[in-house]
Amino acid sequence: MTPGDEVEIFFSLVRQRYGARLDEAQLAAVRETLEGLARDVATLRAAPIPDDAEPGQPFVPFRADS
Amino acid sequence: MSVAFRTIRELGADLRAGRLSAVTLAEASLERLETIGGKLNAVVTLTRERALDQAQRADRELKAGRDRGPLHGIPYGAKDLLATSSGIPTTWGAAPFRTRRFDYDATVIRRLEEAGAVLVAKLAMVEFAGGMGYQQPNASFTGPGISPWSPDAWSGGSSSGSGSAVGAGLVPFAIGSETWGSILSPATFCGVTGLRPTYGRVSRHGAMALCWTLDKLGPLALTADDCGLVLDAIAGPDPGDPTAAPRVYRYDERDSRRPFRFAVVRGAVEQAQPAVRDVVVRALDTLRALGSVEEITLPDLPYEAMTRIILWAEGASAFQALIEGGTIADLTAPEDRVTPYARDAILAKDYLRALRLRGIVAREIDRVLSRFDAIVGPSRAAVGARLGQTFRSPIRGGAPDVLGAIGNAAGLPAAGVPCGLTADGLPVGLQFMGRAWDENVVLAAARAWQERTEFHRRRPPLS
Repeated sequence: MTPGDEVEIFFSLVRQRYGARLDEAQLAAVRETLEGLARDVATLRAAPIPDDAEPGQPFVPFRADS
Repeated sequence: MSVAFRTIRELGADLRAGRLSAVTLAEASLERLETIGGKLNAVVTLTRERALDQAQRADRELKAGRDRGPLHGIPYGAKDLLATSSGIPTTWGAAPFRTRRFDYDATVIRRLEEAGAVLVAKLAMVEFAGGMGYQQPNASFTGPGISPWSPDAWSGGSSSGSGSAVGAGLVPFAIGSETWGSILSPATFCGVTGLRPTYGRVSRHGAMALCWTLDKLGPLALTADDCGLVLDAIAGPDPGDPTAAPRVYRYDERDSRRPFRFAVVRGAVEQAQPAVRDVVVRALDTLRALGSVEEITLPDLPYEAMTRIILWAEGASAFQALIEGGTIADLTAPEDRVTPYARDAILAKDYLRALRLRGIVAREIDRVLSRFDAIVGPSRAAVGARLGQTFRSPIRGGAPDVLGAIGNAAGLPAAGVPCGLTADGLPVGLQFMGRAWDENVVLAAARAWQERTEFHRRRPPLS
């Protein structure tokens, strides 16, 4: 699947969810934004990451009495 | 005696010597905010009643010998995303929230009150701190923020009013926030000094959340020294914000390390607008009097794409109800009513990939920075946009900002200082970005710059 294919799939999703609120010019702006996101995502996916690279997480287990 | 454009230290000396009262100072600030601030679209709400109460208390305490420190009796303004009690609205710059009120003070507001500072205004900001993707100055229900350097130029965002209120001499300092560029941009376009602290240095409790892992609160002031004084008062751990680090910060004004070791990222200056580039090149020549300036190449990593994905994904979650519920239709900037819908396209695995890459970036950049006191570069690659025009924004991928992407994703501190004017009279800024928790180092570099130059003393025409 190409980034362009993903853009079309997500554009279809956005149009189904929110299309009733948006006119054609607004939908075109959505598509343009989706294309920018697709470029960024493609760049991220192309960057090698070692398996043990973890996301920094602020989450800590919670216990009220500790 | 004029009280405009005087630093916190200067005003503090006058207050303690009895040459000035906190009430006089607050009233002067309120008057300037009402008149000049109105012309600059800098103010959302004047907090007159609370200000005069706080100022009267400051005068009583100082007279009785109870000194709360350098901010005692000093007026300030807060970006309107910080919760305030006393019936004062907190609007987030957004029309749908123009009457919304909280019944508590954000931790930063409370700490400044404990330090004796006097809240005189809630200051204008871009709606939702720019989290909807604006690309024009007119993106707040209070109108476009205007730079005190030109009636036709944007003040920057999203801390628009914080920049222009300090830049026009309406308050000695203000609090802003930065997710990506929102302190350094208005500091630059309004010709003032801004400090983006390390992520976790300042509690965000009571501040609007845009991106939990990127948002920082910090000061804008006339000098780097004043920024240090403010940071000293607002920094520190807070049970209300689990991301506030358990570290005590003390501003060290005596840190005068020299010679400095500066790095410049290859290509970062060349990417700037020609007018900005010319000013920054001259600034780098001046900087060589303070230490070495070495050109470096950064590891090849997708800094900007990574930071954008984090920003858009977290913003989509923070504002999910507003987006899906259609509240964004009432926002000011047309693009803010539409483009947030596109964020449904960000997959969880891609957001997590960006977070994993961020860990790599943080380690790689710290390795680079360990050889230097700071990486320097233009605070912004362009001058403030003209009102009524759209601009190319790094957070939408329309303009380069590698230092901004790295600094915000890795949570690194940066001080932005004025470094000159373009031929059109618009301010240009230089930033010093340091290692995590090294605010005192970047402030020392910024202070050294301001001891050697006069750019921070220039006064704008609209003041």
